Amino acid sequence: MIPYFIKKCITLLLLLLLVSITVFSVLFVLPGDPAQIMLGINATPESLANLRSELGLDQSFWAQYFQWLAQLVTSQGSRSLNYDMPVNTLIVSRLAVTGPIALLAMVFAVIISLPMGIYAACRQNRPADVSVMFFTQFGLAVPEFWLGILLILFFSVKLGWFAAGGFPGWTVDVWGSFKAILLPAFALGVIRASILTRLTRSSMLEVLREDYIRTARAKGLMERTVIYTHALRNALIPVLTIMGLQLGQLLAGAIIIENVYYLPGLGRLVFNAIGQRDLPVVRDVVLFMAAAVVVVNFIIDLAYAYIDPRVKLK
Amino acid sequence: MKKIILAMLTFTLLIPAQQLLAQTPKKGGSLIVCQPAEPPGLDPTANTAAAIDRVVFSNIYEGLVKVKRTGEFVPGLATAWKVSPDGKVYTFTLRKGVTFHNGEPFTAHTAKWNLERSAAETTKNAHPEYFRGIEKIETPDDHTLVVALKDVDALFIAHMAEGDAVMLPMKGHENAASQPVGTGPFRFVAWVRGDRVEMVRNEKYWNPELPYLDKVTFKFIGDPSAQIAALKAGDIDVIGYIAAPEQASEMEKDKRFKVFAGTTTGEVIMSTNNKRKPFDNKLVRQAMAHAIDRETVIDLVMFGYGTPIGSHWSPSTPYYKDLTGKFPYNPEKARELLAKAGYPDGFEATIKLPAIYSYSRRAGEVIADMLGQVGIKLKIEVVEWGYWLDRIFKQKDFDLTMIGHVEAWDIGIYANPDYYFQYDSQEFRDAYAKALKAPNEAEKAEWFGRCQEIIAEDAVNGYLFSAPSLPIMKNAVMNWWENYPTIALDATEVWLDQ
Repeated sequence: MIPYFIKKCITLLLLLLLVSITVFSVLFVLPGDPAQIMLGINATPESLANLRSELGLDQSFWAQYFQWLAQLVTSQGSRSLNYDMPVNTLIVSRLAVTGPIALLAMVFAVIISLPMGIYAACRQNRPADVSVMFFTQFGLAVPEFWLGILLILFFSVKLGWFAAGGFPGWTVDVWGSFKAILLPAFALGVIRASILTRLTRSSMLEVLREDYIRTARAKGLMERTVIYTHALRNALIPVLTIMGLQLGQLLAGAIIIENVYYLPGLGRLVFNAIGQRDLPVVRDVVLFMAAAVVVVNFIIDLAYAYIDPRVKLK
Repeated sequence: MKKIILAMLTFTLLIPAQQLLAQTPKKGGSLIVCQPAEPPGLDPTANTAAAIDRVVFSNIYEGLVKVKRTGEFVPGLATAWKVSPDGKVYTFTLRKGVTFHNGEPFTAHTAKWNLERSAAETTKNAHPEYFRGIEKIETPDDHTLVVALKDVDALFIAHMAEGDAVMLPMKGHENAASQPVGTGPFRFVAWVRGDRVEMVRNEKYWNPELPYLDKVTFKFIGDPSAQIAALKAGDIDVIGYIAAPEQASEMEKDKRFKVFAGTTTGEVIMSTNNKRKPFDNKLVRQAMAHAIDRETVIDLVMFGYGTPIGSHWSPSTPYYKDLTGKFPYNPEKARELLAKAGYPDGFEATIKLPAIYSYSRRAGEVIADMLGQVGIKLKIEVVEWGYWLDRIFKQKDFDLTMIGHVEAWDIGIYANPDYYFQYDSQEFRDAYAKALKAPNEAEKAEWFGRCQEIIAEDAVNGYLFSAPSLPIMKNAVMNWWENYPTIALDATEVWLDQ
């Protein structure tokens, strides 16, 4: 366990170094001058030059790169050009929106998909199975932003139960903030549930054909025990893998749904930062996202070991 | 009998007017304004982004001069100004008893420091040229500011009325981008990054009658359908500056809301690379001008909202000259001119459209079709904003593009041959210099008019339309600006009828 952990940490560090170089080079060669974007098209060349030297954009590639690394390692951190505040603080404040949405979306996805997937697998090719499969088809075909808009039109505009978007902030209004993330998390969850349902179903079907299931049934175990104790546990491994990928993806930001609900989340932060060439924000957020995905996968690895004792973490 | 009916009719007609007069503004209430773009910082003196001015200008920050709803210059922090007979010395009388939100008094010294700061060598102001014409500033007393210019500058007052010339306090100006402190009717409270800016009534505002509102919140919602949903759900009160005209026509039918189709200072133009073949040929540019049907462009791109223009000047800016008749829509004439220019079969070119502006993308498609009908085949390329700024604006690597120039009084960009459309005309430069040095109103009108004519005649760019203001609001929102003669969403005199 401990060597495994150390190995993971080294991988994480190497990966972050690689990501940092990639992100930095891509942003370096990307057309579009941050100073020009900040000052607008009517700015004089002199004001541009002043701003560029203030931002350190007139220095060489390596000078800028190492300066950034130094900022990351020391507690100083980088500063957003547009928001005029430390990027760390920005990331934390955006995570307060994106984190709960991602987790809630996964909760929705799991409570919808697991029962439906198991149910469909137990009734393969019967009407119940067909209707579950129809639902998943629907979920896969519908773009999440469209579902988001439909939810707004029905629950916010027509019924007036929810705000049409926005986020009051956890410190200002806890209940309002929870309501604000409910619809977007549901929209994200339903779409992800479709994939998980199909996966759970097919994985369950495969396991149910195994010899040990036949043995279990033959020795007279209750069908309930066979399915939940023997089959599900084994069927969950591939489902968990996809769940980990989905969670990582959700943490990296659901840009489109955040735009529809105009939520100040991580995805919208990085999206706008790219458009505005707020390079310190783009770099740090991308690095953070890479780290988040690695950490989530690490947690999923731990979950494998918990579910299937045969898996050893080396 | 007839007379009685007439009298009755007159009387009934008068009632609405009387009701209007009877409506006195009510104090109090909180207003939530939606604006599509989140400002990159909150300091209008450090960045020309219109999104900054729309939030803070006239609400938090004020300048010496203000632009009235009708476009005229009226007192702001200066109650009056006198110009010397030679037009070079401006004597401003400053308002007494004005304090910044941090308690610092606003005096002639503050004003002098602000103007000098913007003109300084190391300035971050995006428009130092507005202030560089100042030779020296004197402050005979706390409320008199004497600004001596090196030369006559017809646009000096116009520039003093822009967001770039707002007054910052001497203490705390360093944090203006995140903690704005001004003299305006509203005091900054918070900027929740990615979501909203909140401001509350400045109890110590120099005009004790104003503002009417207790609180104003600017909410940043980029997606047009999300804006409309938010308005319908009651989350916001006003869409201050609409991005999607197709929504406005729909909302006009809804009795709960008001839509204003006013004017703005912005001109949407098809920028043309005047140094690149075949656009360096005036006949080709004139042919394109004849090939474009502005009314149809406005109908298709802006759903009928917007005013056609014939030059780089908005109808809401003083000294406007209507030149829309110069090149009327005439495809026949366009083909003739093309043939005369040596392109009887037309030619191929590329139009690059910035992806962030939907009007630009749509106008590009419509224009491509119109030019196609006279033989000019356009390839459409949609590009990202950073790319646009780099390749088109900076490196001038383009044939045609489509963009809105939002600032008023910006015709001077045609005097700079290095500006991205690369128009080089001594005649224009002379006329513009004369306009800037015009000593009186009549000559200003004459020379600014001449400037408009010269670039219209040369068909430097395709002049399409002036962008509409298009705010949409709940019926309870009163006294919102119909026209936007300056870049601001000024809530000073806005009130809620509830």
